[in-house]
Amino acid sequence: MTDLAVNGNDGAPILAVDGLRVEFRTDAGPVVGVEEVSFAIRPGETVCVVGESGSGKSVTSLSIMRLVEFGGGRIAAGRIGFRRRDGRDIDLADLTPAEMRAVRGSEIGMIFQEPMTALNPVFTIERQLTDGLIAHKGLSAEAARRKALELLQEVRIPEPERRLKQYPHELSGGMRQRVVIAMAMACEPRLLIADEPTTALDVTIQAEILALINRLKRETGMAVLFITHDMAVVAQMADRVVVMYRGNVVETGSVTEIFEAPQQEYTKTLLAAVPKLGEMRGRPAPERMRGFAAPGSKTPQQPEARPARPRELIEVRHLSTRFPVRSGLFRQTTAHIHAVEDVSFTIFAGQTLSLVGESGSGKSTCGRSIMRLTEPSRGEVLLEGSDIARLDSYALRRVRRDMQMVFQDPFASLNPYRRLAAQVAEPILNFGLARGAELEDRVAGLFDRVGLPRSFLRRFPHELSGGQRQRVAIARALALNPKLIIADEAVSALDVSVQAQVLNLMMELQADLGLSFLFISHDMAVVERVSHHVAVMYLGRIVEIGPRMAVFEDPRHPYTRTLLDAVPVADPRVRRSREDRRARTLPSPIFPLGHEPAPSVYEEVGPGHLVIVE
Amino acid sequence: MRRFRTSKGMIGLILVGLAILIAIFAPMLIPAGLSTKMHMAERLHPPSLKHILGTDELGRDLFYRVMLGARTSLEIAVSAVGMSILIGLPLGMIAGYFGGWLDNVLMRIVDALLAFPALLLALTISAVLGPNLRNTIIAIGVAFTPYLARIIRGEALRVAQLPFVEAARAAGTNNLNMLIRHILPNVMPATIVQGTISLAFAILAEAGLSFLGLGTQPPQSSWGLMIQASRNYLDISAWTALVPGTAVALTVLGFNMFGDVLRDILDPRAK
Amino acid sequence: MNYVLNRLLSMLLTLFLISIITFAVTNILPGDVALMIMGTQSNPEALAGMRQSLGLNDPLIVQYGHWISGMLTGHWGTSLVFKAAIGPLLLQKMTASGLIVLMSMLIALTGAVPLGVWAAIHRDRWQDTASSSAALFGVSLPDFFWGIVLILLFARTLGWLPSSGFVDPGTDLGGAIAHAFLPSLALGLGLMAHLTRMTRSTMVGIMEQEFIRVARAKGLRERAIIWRYGLANAIGPVMTIAGLQIGYLFGSIIVIESLFNYTGMGWLTYQALLNRDIPLIQATIFVIAAVVMLTNLVVDLLYVLVDPRIRLG
Repeated sequence: MTDLAVNGNDGAPILAVDGLRVEFRTDAGPVVGVEEVSFAIRPGETVCVVGESGSGKSVTSLSIMRLVEFGGGRIAAGRIGFRRRDGRDIDLADLTPAEMRAVRGSEIGMIFQEPMTALNPVFTIERQLTDGLIAHKGLSAEAARRKALELLQEVRIPEPERRLKQYPHELSGGMRQRVVIAMAMACEPRLLIADEPTTALDVTIQAEILALINRLKRETGMAVLFITHDMAVVAQMADRVVVMYRGNVVETGSVTEIFEAPQQEYTKTLLAAVPKLGEMRGRPAPERMRGFAAPGSKTPQQPEARPARPRELIEVRHLSTRFPVRSGLFRQTTAHIHAVEDVSFTIFAGQTLSLVGESGSGKSTCGRSIMRLTEPSRGEVLLEGSDIARLDSYALRRVRRDMQMVFQDPFASLNPYRRLAAQVAEPILNFGLARGAELEDRVAGLFDRVGLPRSFLRRFPHELSGGQRQRVAIARALALNPKLIIADEAVSALDVSVQAQVLNLMMELQADLGLSFLFISHDMAVVERVSHHVAVMYLGRIVEIGPRMAVFEDPRHPYTRTLLDAVPVADPRVRRSREDRRARTLPSPIFPLGHEPAPSVYEEVGPGHLVIVE
Repeated sequence: MRRFRTSKGMIGLILVGLAILIAIFAPMLIPAGLSTKMHMAERLHPPSLKHILGTDELGRDLFYRVMLGARTSLEIAVSAVGMSILIGLPLGMIAGYFGGWLDNVLMRIVDALLAFPALLLALTISAVLGPNLRNTIIAIGVAFTPYLARIIRGEALRVAQLPFVEAARAAGTNNLNMLIRHILPNVMPATIVQGTISLAFAILAEAGLSFLGLGTQPPQSSWGLMIQASRNYLDISAWTALVPGTAVALTVLGFNMFGDVLRDILDPRAK
Repeated sequence: MNYVLNRLLSMLLTLFLISIITFAVTNILPGDVALMIMGTQSNPEALAGMRQSLGLNDPLIVQYGHWISGMLTGHWGTSLVFKAAIGPLLLQKMTASGLIVLMSMLIALTGAVPLGVWAAIHRDRWQDTASSSAALFGVSLPDFFWGIVLILLFARTLGWLPSSGFVDPGTDLGGAIAHAFLPSLALGLGLMAHLTRMTRSTMVGIMEQEFIRVARAKGLRERAIIWRYGLANAIGPVMTIAGLQIGYLFGSIIVIESLFNYTGMGWLTYQALLNRDIPLIQATIFVIAAVVMLTNLVVDLLYVLVDPRIRLG
């Protein structure tokens, strides 16, 4: 490991990509994946390749590993210079498969996006950690086992002895990603390629993994090629940045150059679209993203400050939703998952309440319970006085007109076999609100409203991009003139520039139509941008709730602080040196039958700012 | 449609098209006498200019008989598969969409039915009802229904959990409209693919039933029946078995190829 | 272990449903057992008496009760055609058919697994096209067509193997296998074609998984990735698919055994159906369905052994 540290001081690049061009075979002839890609990485340096979907950033990383060939790709031109451990400079694009195998996993390690599928489900962790060691270093089984144990300790996995004998499905997502990193680190690589390694992880786990990668880099002096779509992660990790767009490199520079003096229009747009946590400090009302006026709208106007005491639209009181865990011979209920536990909040007319939390916090279930797409176990949901939780199916159908929902996945949100006009018209038809020409007018009006051209009316979903589909989903939600829209991670699957436009659309609709939103999201920076009120959920409960400024600027609950701390900020000057901690195991929300958790009790620490009392 | 222009797609299309054309037009074009006329002097003749595929044990022309057999085989296959879709599609959709106890009960029965080999079930039903054309259709149709119901139920279950179904429910769409507007179009691709593959299996099943004498009955002509008749003459005239056997194989091959290509195009997971 | 208990319980329920289906199917029969036993010459009073003693005048539910309690207590009745006790008859025929079913499964798997894997790893290249086309052709041929071709080739032309008859493995094992070989091959070839296709598509799916890419990124040999990483994940699904084909085999033996005059379960079923031997029909289809279900249960339980997600989940 010492010779690596020595190499770290050397100024010559360890990897130099020059004029890379990758083509893919398709039925319609070769298609260019990336072209003219050039950049270099020096030892001990982190280079981030950033871009939106389709930018070719992953193709670039797979080409360096020559894994792109297994997906029908071919390196058509260019050089991938790599300086080997013995000092020889080679062109990876030129190696025979056998030569490349000796480099892969031994001198270049790689980690991937999906920790849930990156490990072979039928082999133990030990076997997967040791097979690379045995292949590259010819270690004996016993020596490989000792090394595997060492690696697990290195990536700070608790109880490493036990983990070796476990199978992947027995570990959490964060733990699995640590195992994948341990696998990549097994042969002490000189270059680590990380392809969106934290995208599938919760923000607190992301912070842990980023800290781990940074520590390993520091300790071994290896270079890191970090692929991501997230500008905030770039700001936290990168020494230098490569911005890609549609298969081409747009701009290269040091991280401060890129963030503070971007040269290219695309880079500027990308940066403008990223909400920065903390930039709303001192501003009470949500504000639209700069430079992203929806097409056709007039000068972007800020939603005017609402009257001091807005009207209450929905009041949720002591809502709990539990799912039965069935097992045994007769599929009897043996336990309950307490997905939502004694949750209370109020949504005001014309305002946005955000539910934030990590996966498993119960925020989605909470939204679905209010719509009664999932049946709540107890509690009240008062919509202008009537309790939704107690309505029969007939009355429920009527009251649902006032509440609509927008979902996360733009590809599954629309029926692939129906024209868009029919899908937007469906709610209106269901309630017999309009027919014939009047219906057509209304649907066309809704398309105008969400900024979609009328030529889209006769199209099918597959002809649209993700952002356009999400607009259709919003149009469909608007069709019944609802008072409340529940947006369940509605912008999470979109690229940042598209996300900014859809967020602006939602804020515009709120200003124009007086809509209320229940905005469910894991993204603190987005939440800061759009909300009037914020509720932080953890293990089914709201641990802190209050006006957005209060919660973000004066967080009182330890979990809220952890969460805010973990969020990477899209500003390289606000770097958080985070200590690399051991992986944690989350407490379980599964309780035995008849278990009655204590009610949620809150302390008021400011006007409308409540914190749970443990 | 471009993906049909693979060699597999084209061969499949040609074989299926040919089989259908023969099934429709052969009975109109072939004079009735030619296929049934017996020539005891010309029994079991090998292929010749006069009889290009030879003659059977009663001296009848095999070429004409195999052409006429196409109609019986296809008629039975199409009707039987149609019947199983007619029963299996609504059952599968309802079980998959509504779930709960209804799904449990229906799928238990389907599971039990699936324990009976399809051919055994078809043979038993045909034997019990008395073998004839109509009962052969019923027998094969009933035997295939659980397979279709199972696959459609799985698809419906998958679709019912997609967000657009939830969005429609939130927008006040009732169950009937939900099934018609949202579930049905989304289970159709799988149904069409499975239906096409079932046609191949149905042709094989008809041949098997008729071969055992529990399917089509003489004087009707079917490929399975022709093979059965040839059994006793295998030593002296193998072609009497090989001719109808090849006809079955080519038709089934056509449907299988067609089904494969359809699956590549329509399978939502292949996209 | 909960999983195993669960499966056993649901098996009992399915078995019950199988018995109901068996009884229902055979009772839509327009035939009259009494008439069959007594013959058409018998006098009406005797016939009525026979009906009474056979319980044919009872409501269906009572008849079902009689039948199922008989099945459960081992009183399976007497075959009308063979004039013999059904129990021992089935046991003997089941052994004969078991030999064919096992041999054909063995033949099919030996060919299908390497062929399917080979096609999958050469996806869309000539190796795949060749093996997939052969497999597609294989599944398109009726079993009895395979049988006829094999008889013509191995028995009539080459004279290597017997094409007809059954030899008890207890008395002459070599002879038994020789007699079972052609029928097994006829069944096995079609099955091999089917399993080749299934293995191919399973393997194609596995080779697209992320963990395969991770294994490549580790620098493992492609051969090791395919045969260890790939195959270890394919065993479970392929085993399940093969297990489901046991049902298909028990259908096909009816045709194949009568073609080869191999007096096993399929041949027996055929005789029962042809002669409308109702007690025998009921017993055979019930036993076949039960055997098929049991094999699938065994396969499911074996799956637990190869997949840690179920074993430990």
